[in-house]
Amino acid sequence: MPKCTIDGKEVEFKPGENLITVAKRAGVEIPVFCYHPGLSVVAQCRMCYVEIEKMPKLQTACSTNAAEGMVVKTQSDPVVKGRAGTMEFLLLNHPLDCPICDKAGECDLQDNSFGHGSANMRHTEERRTYVDVDMGPVIEKNMNRCIHCTRCIRFGEEVAGIHEMVAIQRGNNIDITTIDGNPLQTEYAGNYADICPTGSLTLRDFRFRKRAWMLKKTSTICEGCSKGCNMEIQHEGNVIYRCVPRENLEINKYWMCDEGRMNYHYTQDEKRILNPRSGATFIGWEDAIQTLKDQINEKPLTVLVGSDLTQQELENILEYTKNYHKGSSVYHFGTEGVFTSAQDLPVDKILKMKSKTSNLNGAEKLGIKSVQEMKSASDVVLVFAGGRANVQSVTKKLEGKKLIGIGVYSLNEAESFSMVLPSLSFTEKDGTIFNHQGIEQKLKRAIQPKNTIKAISEILMLTANKKVKVGAN
Amino acid sequence: MRQNTLFEQHFWKDSNRSLDYYLQNMNGYQAAQKVLKEMNPDQVIEEVKKGNLRGRGGAGFPMGMKWGFIPKASEKPKYLVCNADESEPGTCKDRQIMRYTPHLLIEGLIIGSFAIGCKHSYIYIRGEYVNEAKLLNAAIEEAYEKGYLGKNILGSGFDLDITVHRGAGAYICGEETGLLNSLEGKRGEPRVKPPFPAVSGAFGCPTAVNNVESIANVPHLIRMGGDAFAQLGKIDKSGGTRLISLSGHVKKPGVYEIQAGSVTLRQIIEDIGGGIINDKKLKAVIPGGSSSPILTADEIDVVYDVEPLMKVGTMMGSAAIMVIHEDTDLVKLLLRITKFYAHESCGQCTPCREGCHWMESILHKILHGEAKPTDLDLLVDVAQNIGGKTLCALGDAAAGPVISFVKKFRPEFESYIKGQKRYA
Repeated sequence: MPKCTIDGKEVEFKPGENLITVAKRAGVEIPVFCYHPGLSVVAQCRMCYVEIEKMPKLQTACSTNAAEGMVVKTQSDPVVKGRAGTMEFLLLNHPLDCPICDKAGECDLQDNSFGHGSANMRHTEERRTYVDVDMGPVIEKNMNRCIHCTRCIRFGEEVAGIHEMVAIQRGNNIDITTIDGNPLQTEYAGNYADICPTGSLTLRDFRFRKRAWMLKKTSTICEGCSKGCNMEIQHEGNVIYRCVPRENLEINKYWMCDEGRMNYHYTQDEKRILNPRSGATFIGWEDAIQTLKDQINEKPLTVLVGSDLTQQELENILEYTKNYHKGSSVYHFGTEGVFTSAQDLPVDKILKMKSKTSNLNGAEKLGIKSVQEMKSASDVVLVFAGGRANVQSVTKKLEGKKLIGIGVYSLNEAESFSMVLPSLSFTEKDGTIFNHQGIEQKLKRAIQPKNTIKAISEILMLTANKKVKVGAN
Repeated sequence: MRQNTLFEQHFWKDSNRSLDYYLQNMNGYQAAQKVLKEMNPDQVIEEVKKGNLRGRGGAGFPMGMKWGFIPKASEKPKYLVCNADESEPGTCKDRQIMRYTPHLLIEGLIIGSFAIGCKHSYIYIRGEYVNEAKLLNAAIEEAYEKGYLGKNILGSGFDLDITVHRGAGAYICGEETGLLNSLEGKRGEPRVKPPFPAVSGAFGCPTAVNNVESIANVPHLIRMGGDAFAQLGKIDKSGGTRLISLSGHVKKPGVYEIQAGSVTLRQIIEDIGGGIINDKKLKAVIPGGSSSPILTADEIDVVYDVEPLMKVGTMMGSAAIMVIHEDTDLVKLLLRITKFYAHESCGQCTPCREGCHWMESILHKILHGEAKPTDLDLLVDVAQNIGGKTLCALGDAAAGPVISFVKKFRPEFESYIKGQKRYA
């Protein structure tokens, strides 16, 4: 492999790699604003200056590919002065309202200002201000904070496939806005907030709810569809505040859709059932398990499992029915109209898949048949669901049967059930799922389960025990 | 110094722009004939290289070399784009060519297109040149009628179409990649280089962008041969003649033609321009369009060509000379120039977008007596943070005048700051 030298360190590179990527590998961080690995290179912010031997001017690292024998300095005096100059220019018109800005704490402008700027302000003129447009329900705009990096414009054009953000006017009056001031239309609008290097585009869902530095981060997988986008749940005090995408170049690159981003809300919804419920009343776990035992009583059962459950949960259910309800039949359900992974096609050219449950592939791998193949059902039907599977699509088919739900249910869904035993949602459990490509990925518990919710494995174990005894929760 | 002119004698007469005049008095389309029938593309490029034809748009890049960068084997179409955006303040030479010798430009485009393998050439003309665009279109129509354009030109089997594209009036669209974006219907913003237009230009295809005067020189060069053309220039590495736009405080402003490198700046002002208006004293000269660093009255004994001017720290640019006499307020002048660049900044890169406007604000404060003593150094520091750090050359264009004005005429700025002089 060819080699170049960065700050005295010799680094190998692949032809076509730019200096930011190569420097990163050498442990040298070059500050950037407009550069994003998932977007085209425009070299507009002029922050990533480096000095290259035999070149008279400073070069931007984002637009310069490494070359054999290239000698790059990232800390020389001209570079330091150049970056300080850019920082000063960027802050001329920035309101510096960090104390009330949601981006504070995770803001590139803040970080780079701290790292490369000056604490003094030589500019005494009035700052430029703008009137903001309504960007729709997902994104809140604050143009005064904008540093015109055009990441949002490029994201729309190059990733979301929609030309909705534009630059209007020019020079000092340049305004980054939507075409004709229309609200955003893309279903991937949340990414605008992620890639914005300042607080110019922020997520309305997260606005004024938590300071970024207080959040704890748990790396997990989105369960919104069978794509399996890698994401991070950000939470504090056992409350989830937002979900953001994690880089995975094989699956979601750097992005996720708004549906997946906002999906966590149902797990914290006040309508979610958090205690065992029989009919319209909440009961204790011992009564609930006893009632369940009485009703299913080692008979062969029809068992429906949501394709939103993890591989481990599905295996537990299969093992339980095999051992305690011989002759039972197990079917998986999830999205109406998508019964097999062959039917699970992309919805758009970006990320979304048709299957609104995350583990259809995994359920098939375990040999579970689709609910479409169910001809008849036992009088009592066990329905296991993880929260995303469309429960109503199966309850319609099972009218007149006694339904017992185990898993994540809302009050509305529970109306057709004689009993509901609450279990863990994807934010509260560990486990693995297979995405539509067949890649196995790991869900990770971000927060502790609320109230007396129990894992499916525990519920099954308690039911299998001869004597009902529920320990303190 | 002005005996051998190629253009000037044909200017200022409306009837000269017709095809008939061109054929009868200017050996019209003979060079194209020679190229299409007797030469191959490599020979044309070689000839242009021999002629030392430097780009006339501002950078002075050797034209033959530029054409040589266009890849020979390319599956994509190739384009020759004529930059007729002539937007540098003070420049009006290309307008003369388009007004009075449009066929010279068309013939140059035929030769250039043949040399680089282009089948469709564009003339990107600045929006304000309404009449010139009409005249060009009329000349192109004439050329189509007579078979100088279109399919199978002069029976050679070579095809060429020319389209005139009018800009919408932005300085930045004179920058070649900004021009290409505008030509494609996008925002007129310069692109990141590399890739250079020779690799990926108009519509992502290999493209050569040349100034009007550069292209209009090509038929002359071919007709007289590269060596003879090179000898017209009286200095190394610069062949042919140069059209200069002389303006400001001279007795006879106008567009004049000189043999490249044959005269000094002083000769241009005193002999060609007839000296300073009202016989005032010369104060300063802006030698190559408003973006070139200023020269004081003592610095004008310099040969007027690309390299000698570079040696004294300025540039020839588009050969637009602005002469400034003793009564001129340079602070006001610099504010006007800076205001122009702040207004014309496209706004995509940080130093130019923010810095040009800041420089304008500081100069405004200086002129109105609101500045602090430290503001002058601040102004220069801001200019230095812009110069050489921007995406395209507009930042340099804005910073150069500020740095040179303050360096050479500092007392004038200080007198405003100290309150000795007031804005009137």
